[in-house]
Amino acid sequence: MTDASIGAIAFVTLLTIVVGARGIRVARTPDDFMVAARQVPPGINAAAISGEYLSAASFLGIAGLIVSQGLGSLWYSVGYTAGYLVLLLLVAAPLRRFGAYTIPDFADGRLGSKGLRQAATALVLVIGWFYLLPQMKGAGITLQWVLGTPYWVGVVALGVVVSGNIAMGGMKGITFVQCFQYWLKLCAIGIPALVLLIATGHDSARNLQPDRAPVFTQATVVQVSQATDFTLTRPVRATVSGLIDQREYRHQTVPLCACRHAAGAGTQIGFAAGSPVPTSLAMAPAPGVSWDSPLSAAGTDGAHPLASTYGIIIATFFGAVGLPHILVRFYTNPDGEAARRTTLIVVLMLSTFYMFPALLAVLTRLHAPQLYLAGDPDDVILALPSLLLPGLPGALLASLVAAGAFAAFLSTSSGLLVSVAGALSHDFMNRGVTSFRWCAIAAGAVATTASLLIGRFSLALLVGWAFAIAASSFCPLLVLGIWWRQLTRAGAAAGIVVGGGACLTAIVASMVGAATSGWSAVLLGQPAIWTVPLAFSVMIVTSLLTQRTLPGNVGQVMLRMHLPEALSRQDYRSLPLERARRSTGR
Amino acid sequence: MEETAAAQPQPAQPQPAQPQPAQRQLVVWRGDQMPVQHNIPGPGDLRDDTNTGRVLVGSLIRAQLGLSLMCLMLALAVTVSFPLVAALVPAIGRTTVAGIPVTLIVLGFAFYPVFLAVGWFYHRQARQLEARFIHLVDPPVTDPDD
Repeated sequence: MTDASIGAIAFVTLLTIVVGARGIRVARTPDDFMVAARQVPPGINAAAISGEYLSAASFLGIAGLIVSQGLGSLWYSVGYTAGYLVLLLLVAAPLRRFGAYTIPDFADGRLGSKGLRQAATALVLVIGWFYLLPQMKGAGITLQWVLGTPYWVGVVALGVVVSGNIAMGGMKGITFVQCFQYWLKLCAIGIPALVLLIATGHDSARNLQPDRAPVFTQATVVQVSQATDFTLTRPVRATVSGLIDQREYRHQTVPLCACRHAAGAGTQIGFAAGSPVPTSLAMAPAPGVSWDSPLSAAGTDGAHPLASTYGIIIATFFGAVGLPHILVRFYTNPDGEAARRTTLIVVLMLSTFYMFPALLAVLTRLHAPQLYLAGDPDDVILALPSLLLPGLPGALLASLVAAGAFAAFLSTSSGLLVSVAGALSHDFMNRGVTSFRWCAIAAGAVATTASLLIGRFSLALLVGWAFAIAASSFCPLLVLGIWWRQLTRAGAAAGIVVGGGACLTAIVASMVGAATSGWSAVLLGQPAIWTVPLAFSVMIVTSLLTQRTLPGNVGQVMLRMHLPEALSRQDYRSLPLERARRSTGR
Repeated sequence: MEETAAAQPQPAQPQPAQPQPAQRQLVVWRGDQMPVQHNIPGPGDLRDDTNTGRVLVGSLIRAQLGLSLMCLMLALAVTVSFPLVAALVPAIGRTTVAGIPVTLIVLGFAFYPVFLAVGWFYHRQARQLEARFIHLVDPPVTDPDD
């Protein structure tokens, strides 16, 4: 099984490097490095956007979070898709028509301020790095699961491959890699989900009953791979071989109370059909929210689930608009109309993809409840196929999942690193290809180092936080910048600094455990619920107070964003006479 | 001497009992009369940022924003109301259809077609809106002799 997985991961990685390397010969100018030439058909462009967007969180994180925390975590997948609907409705066409490459370019071009540009660049770095961390963590745990290497090996491996590849090839080759990787990811999650669904059948919906803790549907022997603490909801008699609660057993029947137990590495515990499923500490659900509730209190320790759910909704619905690595892809559309079509196809592609993590999570709860003993919820999808399908088919599916997961880390972190390195080299260093290369390596090194510290946070939560920062800073900047001509430099700067700063502070406070209960846990753990309205209000109020500094060219800028290309392409100066001549055939 | 022929627009009136053939009138203009066309709002107004141009662009932006916000409200009303309803009526979260929890059906599958429908509707409407604006600002010149 391991060999097939290693082969699959190596194949995906090599393919990325080879296709990326082909780009070296093509990429000559900094412009080519930043954005592949602007002629990519909408279908390919949409697949590239989706490929870049579907990250470790989508591939491993959401399913793991659904298994451990309940169906309310599906709001993450709903929100990640809805984010593109919001992007289509509010941003796609005007931003493409405006014709800037990055969010700092937009801030500069729309409001003409170098200071604002640098504030935006700093935020690109914050969001980009924050989003890179879960990708690195995903690589760490995937290699840990496949090869048994320590966590840091996978993190460093991904960091080296991605920064090296970006430093050599830029984004020219990446567009086609990203496109390919969407289809790879869709197959890598869709085929296992459908095969396992057919293989297991729909015979035991017992674990989907409302308000019921999961039970073993058949007699199951669980092998605990590493020392794990777990809890039981009901007392149970189990057949134990190995160390449990500091006592050694040899295939003996042991009564286990409904309390916390400690199992040693290598212990085998046999449960009869109908026994309650033991839950490891890492998989323990937040208290107070049942598994089938549509509310999610993940990340806030069960406090105020309704508010916490709306925090997730606001962050994910409005966060996609402000992601620095996604917007750059819209400039590969030939015009605003194509940008809209591309975005609509992206919504379709994401909708298709996001049905499968939900399916895999439900299959886990139904047929492989022993995974509630897993050491990390993000491992669940990797472990599922070989548990449900013993032998070669299961092993092949498992390696397909591992390859898809690696594709997810590679593609998202490539896109992020291009944005971060581009922002660094463009605004804080001397521009040019050499500077871009060094920035890619430096930014990759920073992300790799930081990722070694965040192993205990769920992938979906980490990515959700990156979305929250984007939603409270760049989302108001783009939405107001496009639709509201009274936005001023001071207003935009105040909005992104206050909103982004408040959101980042809240998240860091939540990560270090400043508040674990009550409203403070919600306001720090899901900050978007207050930082997004805050950013919008600060931006609007400050702009209204500084109307005298309104840029003089605002009319022309609004025109450029909203005028259909059919009108803006024409040379107006000679129009009336020319048209008359043409119509009379002279 | 330049010639331009223009079809007289049909006056809006109730349809007479007998269908009349379309009336055509040949209008002959001297060359120095051509600049009269400047009084008609056109792409030049947009470029020169005249008052007319500002009104035109403003109307386009307002129409686009109205369409976007309407679609956004539609999508949000469908999705965002669900947690609230489920919190007010907890029985909804516990209902199952054929052994499958309603939460799974709604959050796992049902919202995506809604997003696609709203997105498709918006895409079509936005394209039509732009086509109408182009037609208003820069009407196609038809040669009646064709």
